[in-house]
Amino acid sequence: MRSRRKATGEREEHAEKSFSAISASSAVPLLWLLRKEYRELIASRAWWVLLFAMGPLVGVTFISAMRTYAEASGLNGTAAGVGEAFSPLIGIWAPTFSACEVAAVFLLPFVAIRLVAGDRQSGALKIEAQHPMPAFGRVAAKALVLMLAWIVASMPAAAAIALWQSYGGSLYRPEIATVAFGHLLNAGLTIALAAVMAAVSEHPSTAAILTLSVTVGTWILNFIAAVQGGIWERAAGYTPPAMVATFQHGLVRLDVVLVAAILIAAGVMLAAVWIRTGVAVGRRVRETAAWSAVAAAAIFACAFVTPSWDASESRANSFPEPDEAALARINGPLHIEAHLAPEDPRRADLDRKAIAKLRRVMPKVDVRYVSATSIGLFEQTSPHYGEIWYELGGRREMSRGTTAESVLETIYDLAGIKAPAESDEPIFRGHPLAVPPKGAATVFYGLWPALVVASALFARRRYA
Amino acid sequence: MLQVHNFTKRYGRIAALSDVSFSVREGEVLGLIGPNGSGKTTLFECMGGVLPLDGGALVRDGRAVSGRERASMLFYLPDQIVPWPAQTVRWAIAFTLGLFGGRAALRDQVVRELDVEPLLDATIGSLSKGQRKRALLAIGLLMPHPLLLADEPFEGLDLRQSRDVARTLRSYASAGRTMFLSIHQIRDAGRVCDRFVLLSGGRARGEGTIRELAAMAAARGTSAGDDLEEVFLALT
Repeated sequence: MRSRRKATGEREEHAEKSFSAISASSAVPLLWLLRKEYRELIASRAWWVLLFAMGPLVGVTFISAMRTYAEASGLNGTAAGVGEAFSPLIGIWAPTFSACEVAAVFLLPFVAIRLVAGDRQSGALKIEAQHPMPAFGRVAAKALVLMLAWIVASMPAAAAIALWQSYGGSLYRPEIATVAFGHLLNAGLTIALAAVMAAVSEHPSTAAILTLSVTVGTWILNFIAAVQGGIWERAAGYTPPAMVATFQHGLVRLDVVLVAAILIAAGVMLAAVWIRTGVAVGRRVRETAAWSAVAAAAIFACAFVTPSWDASESRANSFPEPDEAALARINGPLHIEAHLAPEDPRRADLDRKAIAKLRRVMPKVDVRYVSATSIGLFEQTSPHYGEIWYELGGRREMSRGTTAESVLETIYDLAGIKAPAESDEPIFRGHPLAVPPKGAATVFYGLWPALVVASALFARRRYA
Repeated sequence: MLQVHNFTKRYGRIAALSDVSFSVREGEVLGLIGPNGSGKTTLFECMGGVLPLDGGALVRDGRAVSGRERASMLFYLPDQIVPWPAQTVRWAIAFTLGLFGGRAALRDQVVRELDVEPLLDATIGSLSKGQRKRALLAIGLLMPHPLLLADEPFEGLDLRQSRDVARTLRSYASAGRTMFLSIHQIRDAGRVCDRFVLLSGGRARGEGTIRELAAMAAARGTSAGDDLEEVFLALT
């Protein structure tokens, strides 16, 4: 009895202390909002579901990637290969982190919508909106807490990295950082999109449907781009899946980073416009149009930003250094006209192995694709199909090769310069690792879910 | 202190408020009386900046009040809300005090007077309607704004609690706080308010003390005496 009374007394004393501690820092409203959003996040079941699911999601992709990588490296007596196939970036980290992409598309929006729409549903917005703080600040506080939440939810990916190292796997930090940064930006885009939808719609379920519709819309855009090419292809380059793919190849493109940052800021701004229920709808529509126009102009300007960094250990996005130096000396604009259909695999080869690399070292590369059909199958008999025309300094030359070597050879011919001698820099041989993912299943399917459940129970007792 | 000038608000074809005008005087308890659907909540939400007005303005010293001025002048406490349902009452009070820079020194007193102390460690979502109302009134009284707008402050309270809350509200008004209360139970309004605004069908039908309103009713040929219910029926 006495101990029970003592416990109650301690609880009251603790509560009183925490009451005072909270009140003491009342000078900073933004901090209060951050604390509130944090507590609301902890109270949200959607957040715990996301956290719980991340372990098995990352686990299944990591374990599957590890098995394939180990078998290709010679596990169980298979013949070991060499080269890019054993880049951990492509073999392990791109598939492992793809679990984050799935979570960002299908789980994170619900956490974000819960945090943004919850205030409107409960009526808390009617109280908080009376504070003179700009609505942008209130939405930004939510976005910030959600971004931190995403970082916490990405911990299973960090566990995968730790396990990889414990198996003796090679770790090239710049490429891991690039992939993680890409997924962080992707999460930011999801949060911004969900925030806008939650602010615009009256009900969270409507917001969820709208958010998923936009996501499906980007998939459709990617599909159209693959079929139609041209301006669609250019636009599809800035969709979240394309953006993530760029980072998963270890490439940091400044234009992509800037476009993502602009879209995130625009999303937060538009959400801020629409949570101001005290402003007439007509004015909110006008403000939306104005901010959208500003964002569109900024995104258009970003299309002319060319700097990029190849963070991959295998230099998968770059020509050899001597070639890059030679190409950088070529001043004139290079025009390429490729007679290849959007779905022709040679076009994908040309794009990935040559043109993407060319754009990084030659800022004035203009590429035009010509085709009458989308798949090219029925154009094969056309006399010019498959031709790739290069024009530099008034000279033209045709080639049919789509490999980096043939493209470089043609350009050197046109420029009248001698191909540089082969580099004596060491060739990337890859990092084979013939080790099975021992203990990974326990970590991702057992320890992580148990840790999340225990944390949820603790948080429930601590905060409610 | 403040004039509501020609407030007009429409929901599509329905006029919720039509040219509603009246004044709020410093230190008084002003009651907004009207039947359900008369536009009381809409009027409060427009005053609190939660809903946009189609016409009219809040006026002070002859000029329209800006959004920022309104935010520092009045606090609107809505009815039928369950804010931060997963958080405790203790935390909600601390949060609103911190966010708005409220009257922290009065916290213990307000909590005691509204009998909120036993509820402090309960989550807001778990409270009954009356308990929630008292907790939210505590938040309203602790806000720093000179004018408190409370929508249906007696809703969900039993007779004893209604009397206690009315006494508490009056004591804070006596200490200089201005209150504007929306009340559909006329008897409750008569107990706590100094003056009244009668609202019916989205129009202000009268403004003043019971005597002033009774005089208005008498001028229209109805003898209502000092009975607020009779006065209300005569004027609406």
